[in-house]
Amino acid sequence: MGIKNYEDMNALELDAIKEIGSIGTGNAATAISQVLRKKTKMSLPDVYILGYNEAIEMIGTPEEIVAAVLVKMSGEINGIMLFILKMDFINAVLESVLSKEISEYMDLTEMEKSALEEIGNIIISSYVNALSGLTGVGIGLSIPSIAVNMLGGILSVPMAEFGYETDKLMMINGKFIVDNKVLDSNLLMMPDISSLNYLMHKLGVD
Amino acid sequence: MAKQIIVGIADMKMARREGVLITYALGSCIGIALYDPMINLGALIHIMLPEQGTMADKNLYKYADTGIRETVRKMTAFGAVKNRMRAKIAGGAKMFETKGSQGLGNIGDRNAQNVKKMLREQGIRLVGEDTGANYARTMSIDASDGKVTIKTFGRPEITM
Repeated sequence: MGIKNYEDMNALELDAIKEIGSIGTGNAATAISQVLRKKTKMSLPDVYILGYNEAIEMIGTPEEIVAAVLVKMSGEINGIMLFILKMDFINAVLESVLSKEISEYMDLTEMEKSALEEIGNIIISSYVNALSGLTGVGIGLSIPSIAVNMLGGILSVPMAEFGYETDKLMMINGKFIVDNKVLDSNLLMMPDISSLNYLMHKLGVD
Repeated sequence: MAKQIIVGIADMKMARREGVLITYALGSCIGIALYDPMINLGALIHIMLPEQGTMADKNLYKYADTGIRETVRKMTAFGAVKNRMRAKIAGGAKMFETKGSQGLGNIGDRNAQNVKKMLREQGIRLVGEDTGANYARTMSIDASDGKVTIKTFGRPEITM
């Protein structure tokens, strides 16, 4: 196995991930524009391999409340995908889908949470499709699950899940531009290490 | 307000007589506050996983077993005595309610079980606990009196 940790990836391998990220973000922008019925553009995403504290700093602060949607991958690729939504993204979704806006995370109803869960699921699936499309690998997805809570607690989930394999998180960051509003997109794409090696093999960059 | 000392993830800090040790947003991780009231020595550990296992990991504070053992060793070196020491723990949540068999394992629960087992093994009394459920907790301990405070999102603060 060539890669033992996310940070072991060389420039070529990171480029491959970036390519998956770009195609995934493109797919996601198309999906968002269909769901929200609004013109959606995207920026080219960046891939980051970060420690826990660095990842928190990049997104916000440990006690900051965010919404996050988690989907587990299984089959030929095992791992998790975690999409983080902040207030501006949440309101863009709620305005379009349910014609309402919230100002506090506490105000989110079950119905609204499930709308966000579905959007998160659609975005994550866009990336997973890019992943399986480029590699020809079959990936099964779990039912999505949403949490609205402290950022630090949410990011501890992938940290603990992979704690015996790696100390790093792999994050794809980009921006969606919906109706001239710029919304940050933070996606943690975390295949386990043997899946990552398998992906690289399939992509022919190992 | 007393000086705050931040404890990171997989980390431990000690304070004597003054200062507040604080660790932010414990999710499935567990914060373990140990206190010897006789000498006003407090420690706060932020562990992430139940046991070190076969990982050749230098970071002892990442795991419940090695983290508690190492902290007790250090506190003892500073004059603390095990049978005077009291423990309070928080965290061990399951942040995502994953449905079906392909969900994530409940690491939070395993963490809590192992922390309690380690405390028993070390002969340290557990006098306060706020674990489980599905939300993150910020935990702090005041070195002057060993008082522990737990803050969460949308719930009243807990003191123990």
